[in-house]
Amino acid sequence: MAESNTSVSCSSDNFYSELLSPSELFAARSRSHKIPARGQKEFLPDGSARQRERLQQSLEEHWSLISEERVERLGALVKGEWIPSKNVVVLKSPAGKFWQTMGFSEHGKQLLLPEEALYLMECGSVQVFLHDLPLSIQEGYEMFLSKDTVNLQQYQVFSHLKRLGYVVSRFDRSTVPSHYERQLNLPPERDGHGRQLKRKRSRSPSSQLPDGQGGVAGESLEMRGGETKSQRANPEDGAAGLSEPEAERMVEDVPVPSGVPERRWWVEGGADLPQSPTRPRHRGWVWETITLPDLGAHRCQPALAAPDPSLLPGRLSVGVCAMEPWLRRLNLRPERLSRRERERERSRYRRDVNDDREVRHCRSWAEYHELRRRRRNRHGRRNRPEHLWEGKVTPLLQPGQHTTAGDVLDKIGVVGASRLLDGAAGLEDSEGWKISFDVFQPDTVAEFKKSSPGKPYSRLCVCSFEGPVPDLRVLKQLAFQSGDVPVTFAVVDHGDISFYCFKDFQLPTDTSH
Amino acid sequence: MAAAGRGDAGADPASNPGTVAVCFCESTPLLWRAGDVRTARQTGVVGTLMGSLARQPRQNCRLGRPLELLREEARLLADAGRAVLLSSSRPKSTGAANPELVKQHQEQMDQSYSEQSQLAQQDKKAVLLRVMADKKQGSNQSDQALQERLLALDHGFTFPRTAMAVQLSTARAGMSYGPEELRFLAADSLSPRDERQEARYRVFRDLRRRGFYLTTGGKFGGDYLVYPGDPLRFHAHFIAICLPMDEALSLCDLLALSRLGANVKKTVLLCSPGAEPEEVLYTSLQWSGMV
Repeated sequence: MAESNTSVSCSSDNFYSELLSPSELFAARSRSHKIPARGQKEFLPDGSARQRERLQQSLEEHWSLISEERVERLGALVKGEWIPSKNVVVLKSPAGKFWQTMGFSEHGKQLLLPEEALYLMECGSVQVFLHDLPLSIQEGYEMFLSKDTVNLQQYQVFSHLKRLGYVVSRFDRSTVPSHYERQLNLPPERDGHGRQLKRKRSRSPSSQLPDGQGGVAGESLEMRGGETKSQRANPEDGAAGLSEPEAERMVEDVPVPSGVPERRWWVEGGADLPQSPTRPRHRGWVWETITLPDLGAHRCQPALAAPDPSLLPGRLSVGVCAMEPWLRRLNLRPERLSRRERERERSRYRRDVNDDREVRHCRSWAEYHELRRRRRNRHGRRNRPEHLWEGKVTPLLQPGQHTTAGDVLDKIGVVGASRLLDGAAGLEDSEGWKISFDVFQPDTVAEFKKSSPGKPYSRLCVCSFEGPVPDLRVLKQLAFQSGDVPVTFAVVDHGDISFYCFKDFQLPTDTSH
Repeated sequence: MAAAGRGDAGADPASNPGTVAVCFCESTPLLWRAGDVRTARQTGVVGTLMGSLARQPRQNCRLGRPLELLREEARLLADAGRAVLLSSSRPKSTGAANPELVKQHQEQMDQSYSEQSQLAQQDKKAVLLRVMADKKQGSNQSDQALQERLLALDHGFTFPRTAMAVQLSTARAGMSYGPEELRFLAADSLSPRDERQEARYRVFRDLRRRGFYLTTGGKFGGDYLVYPGDPLRFHAHFIAICLPMDEALSLCDLLALSRLGANVKKTVLLCSPGAEPEEVLYTSLQWSGMV
């Protein structure tokens, strides 16, 4: 609708100005919020007046809906300011209901990611300013969406899902628990609990707060799993703090046999992974330097060294540990094997083939084979007829070994069953394919906590019909990155979004007969 | 191509009616103004709406501005001289506030506030008067109370600033960031990159010339969906797939396409630009049985 603004405006003669006058703004309070339903479509245009009329009506309705501008009460709007250097929006007034699922805190301020801010602008909840001037939605699109933040297609998927009610957050690789951690099935870490356990050391100067959006602070071993945006605020004190005082000391590899060995294996050694400067260095244990003394061995140390008092809580001090009383509790009696066990030891575990005199007598391979055959027959290998087992081709199964049809099928199967994650661990990142978002279901919004969101319902990878179809390598790599959460591909086609996912499927085997 | 003079601070570059301003957001052509969307539709360019609807932002059935255009649609508009192509660069982080514009904005807000508070006062008075008129037969006491309230309104009416209605503009209002931020693009930015895109454009132009309306057809396995009339009122009849003339298509693909068409009750149209400049050849596929 072309309206001209009667008050002070530089575009007063602009035919297409869409600014509303104050009276219109006031009247907009009583606007209807209902959307008229669309009627049934017709099959063929027949040039009739009725069709023309219907079309005009639909079009008019369409234009009136499209041209409506967003009008909100000033008190209901949350003010925000766009920081171009950090690609975030800082909230200047307290956040509303959306804070439960969106945004993060840093330095005591409430921040929104660009895609979240843009979505909230479109919903009419937040008004974002830049240099004290309010931004329009168009400016929001042009400024907030870029390759560094979220591109237009990813934003389309993001807003599509948000409008349906899902909770969508950016994917962070370091929060995916590894396969081993999942096997351990540890209880989920709670925020305050984890923090208390860390030892507070002097703040390390190297652990800077990450800039803007991407860098998540902490791949430390203490804080796995519960890491989300709200924890970016605090640097990993315990882990980072350790590095500074110890960094200069050298690593002692081998404990001195006499006297009390020094224990320094917790010092960061050579197991550094190259990380971005915003992350504290990865704490790896140098396994070669960790020695667990074998107390049962003959040449064990008479005493264990005292632990470093800085590792102990409070003012506890522990002296050197004498081994005598502990050794007495160990069963140090020499093993007495029965005759059969000794035989077995001799024949299987400790014997070198060439020790055998008879083998040394053999002068050729043929004689050796003959010797073996004789021995086998002597020991009475039951159930192994020669004509079956001595040729080049031997039976696949021993009678009595595999009893069920399923077992037999497994053994004779040529093509083994394979799963999606086979061989996925070693794949490097493919070009252009990456997981963009985590999606959580809408009915969990009531209990959703940003600090511990839990396992997402699905992870999204955004692509388009103009790009290539993901191949098996990409599927494996993305499935591996995602852990046990299924990966959905959101294909954007000029505004239309379709979702596809690939599922692992095992062909059923029929073993009923 | 209608291109206004560069650096003209006063005029909006696309202020002529009948010309649309196509703004590029990362190489995707978008239309932001409602008038532009309307003008485009009048020339047969439908596009897809991809923003939230202002009236009800939290639903996906009906979306609002911006309107996303296909490259072919933008190119058609540009070739017909009906479009101005704009791309804005992001403001530098060291940019400072423009005190002129801030002052203007403040004045606007203040004026809007004063007008709205007057309107609110009048509105309340009108309500009271209506109540009084309805209760003509009422007792004197209630009448007096209403009179008192009317007087109170005149003297002590307050309209808090937070109750003021504020507009969140969809399209960029004027040139708030200065003319150097808008770069005028030449039409070659939309020229096709390879043979397939060229084929698509020629097919688009030809079908458009024949009066069909076209939208994106990726979900149906094709390039375009072809409507006999406006998509608001009619169903699509064809799925158009654009191929260069000499590209070989395997039989499996043909079978898959015809099956797809049969399932969605649309005819598959294989389109190829011919040797002549304006010639486009069409082949339709229909799955039928031999009885």
